[in-house]
Amino acid sequence: MELFEFYRKDRWPHVFCPGCGIGTVMNCFYRAFNELELPLDKTAFIGGIGCSSRIPLYINSDALHTTHGRAIAFATGLRLAKPELKTVVFTGDGDLGAIGGNHFINGCRRNVDMTVICINNNIYGMTGGQASITTPHDYQSTTTPYGNKEYPFDLAEIAVAAGANYVARWTTRHVHELTRSLKAALQKKGFAFVEVVSQCPTNFGRRNKMADPTQMLEWFRQSSVRRDKTKAAEVDHVDLNLAGQITIGEFVDRNRECYEELIGVGKHG
Amino acid sequence: MKPVIDLKLCKACNICVYICPKKCYSKGADLSEIGYFAAVVSAAEKCYNHNRDGKMICELCVLSCPDQAISWHPETEEEKRK
Ligand SMILES: Cc1ncc(C[n+]2csc(CCOP(=O)(O)OP(=O)(O)O)c2C)c(N)n1
Ligand code: SF4
Ligand code: SF4
Ligand code: SF4
Ligand SMILES: [Mg+2]
Repeated sequence: MELFEFYRKDRWPHVFCPGCGIGTVMNCFYRAFNELELPLDKTAFIGGIGCSSRIPLYINSDALHTTHGRAIAFATGLRLAKPELKTVVFTGDGDLGAIGGNHFINGCRRNVDMTVICINNNIYGMTGGQASITTPHDYQSTTTPYGNKEYPFDLAEIAVAAGANYVARWTTRHVHELTRSLKAALQKKGFAFVEVVSQCPTNFGRRNKMADPTQMLEWFRQSSVRRDKTKAAEVDHVDLNLAGQITIGEFVDRNRECYEELIGVGKHG
Repeated sequence: MKPVIDLKLCKACNICVYICPKKCYSKGADLSEIGYFAAVVSAAEKCYNHNRDGKMICELCVLSCPDQAISWHPETEEEKRK
């Protein structure tokens, strides 16, 4: 399948700002989906609200554009009603981790069979750059003019602790690794979570001396540390996540029974 | 194969210029129809995929370009001699 058979060419150029990392994630997702030769007409795409959550609207398949934070709840319902469909959720840090935090945790806990891709740009991009639950400590946003005094959530570690079957984190500077993880996630039975640390040059970069998207990519390159190596260095994940370093890699790959199996809706889409 | 930038899609973020290990791209100076100083492929012959009969060694630019503006095209006979 060509790129623009998968995506709706008539909607291009897409709405995302120049240099926005969302488009990079779209490339890697298309590549993973296409290499696995998955059937587009048997896959449903679900998004919440936000720039990141708009990806499903660009895909040549059925999509649910849901309410803010509720993509996983809608996707759970869809899985149970139509278990023959593969279910893929696109979401942002605000959508998944802030307003949708509880759906996220319980989606992992139930281990519902779906692939969830969170584009973590450390900010509410769509609404103009308010701090989110992943804005790094001491970084600027419109709602933290003196720098963010809080510390960020570690979404990937939360997913591990809550019980997801597959968890990985990469950045938009790691396109090949990201594509590999997306392939693994799409093939995984149970809750598969891929977090992509991504640049929002307009609403995060511009306020943090990285207005040029390539400065953010360079920042990702320099501050990324593989998870196996961080363990050895004994760093405090939560305190240092993003402010000091970005922990990348596969966090977990296991085979707990998924929700559909537990309640007798057996078929793996 | 050689990379080609679609001027109707490029938004001049210059990520390709930054990401390419072989420096095949450079910043553009001409305003495109959609209003951007689109990047240019200035040294396609240096690309890892040049004269490899379609075998892809590197695709950092195509996977990174946020606007799906870069695609692969066969070289002309003249380009193949470069
Ligand atoms: C119930 C509700 N509350 C608030 C909003 C306003 N709103 C729209 S997008 C958004 C934040 C989205 O942030 P994120 O998920 O990180 O997406 P991004 O735009 O950064 O990709 C908010 C608060 C809304 N649409 N609905
Ligand atoms: S506001 Fe940020 S996240 Fe939204 S499209 Fe622009 S750069 Fe991307
Ligand atoms: S990465 Fe894509 S959009 Fe950005 S300058 Fe290069 S061709 Fe243009
Ligand atoms: S494929 Fe690699 S070497 Fe070739 S132009 Fe793209 S980034 Fe450069
Ligand atoms: Mg965001």
